[in-house]
Amino acid sequence: MIEFQRVSMAYPNGVTALKSINLSVEQGEFVFLVGESGAGKSTLIRLLCRELLPTEGSIRVQGRDIARLKRREVPFFRRNIGVVFQDFRLLENRTVYENVAFAMQVVGATGRDIRRRVPDALQLVGLAAKAKMKPLELSGGEQQRVCLARAIVNQPSLIIADEPTGNLDPRTSMGIMDALKSINIRGTTVIMASHDKEIVDAMRQRVLVLDGGKVVRDERRGVYCQHAN
Amino acid sequence: MLIRNWLHYIREAFSSVYRNGWMSFASIGVVAVTLFILGSFILLNINVEYIAEDVKQQVEIVAFVEESLAADEVDLLRVSLIRMEKVEEVRFVSREDALERLKEEFGPLVEGFEGRERNPLRDSFEIRAIIPEDIPALAKEVAELPGIARVDYGRGVVEQLFSITGVVRLIGIAFMIGLALTAMFLIANTIKLTVNARAKEIMIMKYVGATEWFVRWPFLIEGVLLGFFGALLPTVLLMLVYSEAVAWTSLNLHFLPLVSPGMVIMELAQLLLVLGTVIGGIGSLVSMRRFLKV
Repeated sequence: MIEFQRVSMAYPNGVTALKSINLSVEQGEFVFLVGESGAGKSTLIRLLCRELLPTEGSIRVQGRDIARLKRREVPFFRRNIGVVFQDFRLLENRTVYENVAFAMQVVGATGRDIRRRVPDALQLVGLAAKAKMKPLELSGGEQQRVCLARAIVNQPSLIIADEPTGNLDPRTSMGIMDALKSINIRGTTVIMASHDKEIVDAMRQRVLVLDGGKVVRDERRGVYCQHAN
Repeated sequence: MLIRNWLHYIREAFSSVYRNGWMSFASIGVVAVTLFILGSFILLNINVEYIAEDVKQQVEIVAFVEESLAADEVDLLRVSLIRMEKVEEVRFVSREDALERLKEEFGPLVEGFEGRERNPLRDSFEIRAIIPEDIPALAKEVAELPGIARVDYGRGVVEQLFSITGVVRLIGIAFMIGLALTAMFLIANTIKLTVNARAKEIMIMKYVGATEWFVRWPFLIEGVLLGFFGALLPTVLLMLVYSEAVAWTSLNLHFLPLVSPGMVIMELAQLLLVLGTVIGGIGSLVSMRRFLKV
């Protein structure tokens, strides 16, 4: 589903964030991206969202070279990807329901579809009862679950989560992981960057370790290792 | 384009004006104040030009006829004057009429000059040009006609008057352009603030796969709304104030000719409303452009 071929990324200020990376991810996989700050996790995620273009190499998502997408094709490409941010990025002046519905309005869904699918998504993340509340009335974990509901409501084939548990306590984090896991079981590919050793070790999923812009370890059913070299 | 989307854009634009209450209020205020100043200045400028034009229209050439000319020769001269290209109107003033005028102005001072022999004045023509600026050139041509003794048109004063009105017009235009640009800058900046406050919203929209125009339309409509409502206020105010001002001037300063409200106010209203709307829309698009690059 995702194919990186000798992908390098150097920022205009000269910092090389990724060095000739090769990797492939199959449809339905759950992949942890692990590594210290500056290892290149965020760059990899931004490349996947096509927020950045690689300086070298090619990235294929569902068979398409995303560097070759035309500007006007990018939005349609992104509709296949649900993104979950560490800092949630919810609209504070809208209710939980509206925040999730917003993602569907943006892609031009009908009112009927919205009324049908938003409650489903909220149900899946366990927030059906709080649909009418504003984000700031929720706990961090709940806000993150709103973000997750927003990411899945358009039924993307890929979920990218950048440190989704970075700001949450361990118990709340496990709640988020359960939700991600249940989405993954339905066939959605999940790529998640994480610092959280306990979570990575508990999930026993594929682990990709980045260090200095390179993939230094790639294990099926791997564990987090602080000093992987 | 789907009707559903348009409903969404319009609903979003209105609710955003409402949600960003103070920001919207500030934007409308800035548009209103700048357009009010611009509108006042335009009215002022139109009137200064109108008055200058009025003064210019009063400038005329006086051509004195040689005393030796017989009545039929004077008539021929009159015809050749009328036939001149730049001439608008020719009035013959006989020496008797001229004396009468003097008497009216100075009364007893000019007593005792009656009668053909004692009247020291000459027959003359009063000539008005189609274009007041042609007067110096026309005066020269008239002076060269046989039978004309002397030509008078307030040499020097006229040229000065014309150059002053020219300068006034240039200054006016410069000021108006300057004000229009300032208005545009201020409005664009205020809208930029409202857009800045919503950078996050734009970013989220882009991340969930909104097309660029899907993001743009509500902002564009919002800018147009702010610009339009901002322009409405000074338009109505200027209409009322100007009508009052003209009414007052015609009562109290009737020597001051002002352009009647009916002649300018509709055009001014159109100009301000179009300007406000266009600036609002463009300002909004320009300010949000950089947030779209995600």
